[in-house]
Amino acid sequence: MSGSDLFTGTLDLLILRTVLGEPLHGYAIGKTIREGSDGILSVEEGALYPALHRLERRGLLESSWGRTDTGRRAKFYRVTEEGRAHLTAEAERWEAFSGAVATILGETGA
Amino acid sequence: MKKGWPFKRMLGPGGLGRSDQEIREELELYLELRTEELMEEGMSREEARHEAELRFGDPREVERRLRREAGRTRGREGGRKMMNAIRQDVLYALRSFRRNPGFTLVAALTLGIAVAGNTTIFSVLDEAVFQALPFPEADRLVFVNGVHVTEGGIGVRMASVPEFRDWQAGARNVDRMVGVQGVSLTLGGEGPAERVDAELVSEGYFELLGGEAEIGRTFTPEEASTPEGYPLAVISRGLWERRFGADPGVVGRTIELNDRAFSVLGVMPGTFQGVGPEVDAWVPLGMISVIASVETLDARGARFLPVVGRLAPGATVEQAQAELDGIARELQQTYPDSHEDRFAQVQTFRDGYLGSTGRLLWILFAAGVVLLLVAASNVANLLLVRSHARTRELTVRRALGAESGRVAGQLLTESVVLALLGGAVGLPLAAWGISALMPLLPEGVLPTWVEPSISGRVFAFTLVVLGLVGIGAGLIPAVSSARRDLAGSLKSGGRGTAGGGAGARRVFVVAQVALALFLLVGAGLLTRSFRAQLQVDPGLEMEGVYVFRVSPPAERYPDDESLRLFADEIVRRVGTVPGVGSVAASSDFPFRGRSSGSYIVRPDAVEELIRYHRHSVTPGYFENLGVRLLAGRTFTPADDGEAPGVAVVTAAMVERVFPELPEPEAGVGRTIYIGNPSDPENLAEIVGVVENVRFRNLTQDMMAEPNSPDVFFSILQVPTRTHEISFRSDRPLSELLPGLREAVATVDPSVPMFFPAALADAYRAQTAIPRFAALLMTVLSGLALVLACVGVYGVLAFTVGERAKEIAVRRALGARARVVAGDVVWSGVRLAGLGLMVGSGVALLGGRLLGDFLFQVPAADPITFLGVAGLLLLVVLAAAVVPAWRATRQEPVEALTSE
Repeated sequence: MSGSDLFTGTLDLLILRTVLGEPLHGYAIGKTIREGSDGILSVEEGALYPALHRLERRGLLESSWGRTDTGRRAKFYRVTEEGRAHLTAEAERWEAFSGAVATILGETGA
Repeated sequence: MKKGWPFKRMLGPGGLGRSDQEIREELELYLELRTEELMEEGMSREEARHEAELRFGDPREVERRLRREAGRTRGREGGRKMMNAIRQDVLYALRSFRRNPGFTLVAALTLGIAVAGNTTIFSVLDEAVFQALPFPEADRLVFVNGVHVTEGGIGVRMASVPEFRDWQAGARNVDRMVGVQGVSLTLGGEGPAERVDAELVSEGYFELLGGEAEIGRTFTPEEASTPEGYPLAVISRGLWERRFGADPGVVGRTIELNDRAFSVLGVMPGTFQGVGPEVDAWVPLGMISVIASVETLDARGARFLPVVGRLAPGATVEQAQAELDGIARELQQTYPDSHEDRFAQVQTFRDGYLGSTGRLLWILFAAGVVLLLVAASNVANLLLVRSHARTRELTVRRALGAESGRVAGQLLTESVVLALLGGAVGLPLAAWGISALMPLLPEGVLPTWVEPSISGRVFAFTLVVLGLVGIGAGLIPAVSSARRDLAGSLKSGGRGTAGGGAGARRVFVVAQVALALFLLVGAGLLTRSFRAQLQVDPGLEMEGVYVFRVSPPAERYPDDESLRLFADEIVRRVGTVPGVGSVAASSDFPFRGRSSGSYIVRPDAVEELIRYHRHSVTPGYFENLGVRLLAGRTFTPADDGEAPGVAVVTAAMVERVFPELPEPEAGVGRTIYIGNPSDPENLAEIVGVVENVRFRNLTQDMMAEPNSPDVFFSILQVPTRTHEISFRSDRPLSELLPGLREAVATVDPSVPMFFPAALADAYRAQTAIPRFAALLMTVLSGLALVLACVGVYGVLAFTVGERAKEIAVRRALGARARVVAGDVVWSGVRLAGLGLMVGSGVALLGGRLLGDFLFQVPAADPITFLGVAGLLLLVVLAAAVVPAWRATRQEPVEALTSE
């Protein structure tokens, strides 16, 4: 059901973008997205995990158990090659789409 | 509170698989780290953990979705998903309310006050109109009222015994018909004389009302109906305890009622409810001699008996009415003299007990519902504004994968939770309202069994109302959010999507103004009507006038002479009580509801019977009441049984009976027949004309009984058994009572005095119902006015905020502040004007409902309509001033650059 929603993919993109640089565990991913968006994305923090697992199942992320800086056991996510390609393609699509919407709205809006 | 792992409950007894454990560990780490982060912001560990879980959303929901991702979803999760979603929404709603205490307070108070008003009125309505009457099969019980149907529409609600027997024999649709005469009797014998309410009942009375004796038994048909046959009495549990010390062997003991010995036959249980309130004794109708002559039982014209009955199984009130109409017509033909214009009217017990009060309660309830609508539209408005302000938040939630239905559901949940908060405010307020309201209701307005409270039914009603309001108020914001264009919201930074919502808000404001006007018109009409009643000049000096009633028993005062002596002696003795001024005796007294009527005729038109109200008075009566004499004289002690018959009449009587006279004063010297004109003894000369006096009912005197003028007789010429003893005094009644009791006891210790009262109090009781209705309506409409004002202000303030840029541009281009402010005010006035038009139309239609309750005020009273409309317009203007002022204060640059 949620897959049919136009914007479900947005969170996927944000996650892929976040783990692009280094492997991160769920909490760190959430925190980065939260802080990177002025706290706007703070609602329904739990929704992060279904997205992580979905991405992993689709092979865009891979995970392994490791230790955090403070020595706690945590599951780390890292982007796969496939994920990297997906991000590039989707980011382009997103920009094209939002650009088109912005143009239309720019003509009729205030 | 120890915060355990929140998933444990749902994983069930199957234990955790390896990946279940991993999921659990992963999520727990998140919550743990989030908690630590929040603790760094200064929360305690527990607060932080709680907050972390709240922000996380429902962990069970997350867990479930994870497992679905893992392809191991079990079945039968639909219901649980729903419950989880609701729980999450409720928590989210509460959290968001905590963040906006101002909004929450205003909305909850608004709803709370409206709900309190509604619940209070419903609790009374429920008790009076819906609650089962305290009789078995109460919905089949009816009053059968004997009525006189004439042009004047006078209703005499009694039957004669022969008439009652004819109805009883003829009516198949009423399977049990019983005569019940409520009387006040003097209970004597051992102990002090006491006045008790009793009922003279025909056979079948106890069976009809479903009562069985607790001790002993009730009357057999023969005992109940045989004239002078069985001096037996059934007594109430209360009297049994009070008078007989709850003696179990009470059956067979003797009580004295009006100096007649009655043998106690049985005791009714405390739960038994007679036809009248608080009845202490029941006596066979055959023992009528305790109050009147035994011949009364056979006199077709002696109409004193109220009749009740039970509809036969399957029969309706209409069928019974049609049948009794037929019987009444037959009787009219058989007995043309005594049955002219006589009919029987069938009325349900509920209608009979409630009278017009039932309709008044419905009207007040409707007013409560209207207030609730105003409050609900206000809250809907607040929610709309809020959902608009939250566009960004909601959009992001959807972008993050929340289904649009879920977001709408969230908004709906919020408004339902808000409604429940309103209930939490409203219910205690309603409980208080009930306890504050009931003492305002004069006794006798509602039947005695009506004891409003927050009962289970009232509570359930309130919950249903709250649910409806919550869903109703939340539906529009929810629908408008579901429709909202996400991309547009994101693009414009969460602004500029007000389109649909703004229209809805304007509709709400128009509706609020219209509904408020509707209520205000109702309140205005009732208040003006009440004022008009207060302004009625009863023609009496009421301050310092007191009255009490005595009724010497027929056994020791059998004839006119003994009654005359009794009255003389009472007047003389009461006059010696310290503090008591002039004393008078009369057959009845203003606002004491006991005047009797009969017919008079003019000597030159004997075929026209004119119904009139008869008053027998002593000479001091007029002076004591301050009734002005217009012409002629009042009575003197010389107007006694030996002297020629004289009468004093009101100006209205002269106008009614002698319309050809140029002025009422000219009535002096005319003669009338009191009763049968063939008997010269019945001739009376009018010796005096007094000003018009409102004796019975402030309003009805003028409206309903124009054909029933008042005639006064000398008490020496037309004696009475029941005496109202009135006197003037400048002391309070309580101070005088002991002396008065002693004075009466000196004349006859077995005659009790009852109903002592100040005339001013009796007068005030007359206006109690209109006062109550006007007061309640004013409170309700005042609240509606405040809410409508808040609504108008809210919309205008919001519009100004919304149009900040436009206004700024206009200002930058040189528009004057006055023009800009005028624009804002004008937009408010336009909305209000529309509301006023709609409201006036509704009020013109609805005002008719009040018609019966209005006195000297037309339902379409222009003064009320204009006044109320003006008031509303003023309030709207006041509500528009602040937003208008704000519009002019906006700095153009700031408004243009702010996002």
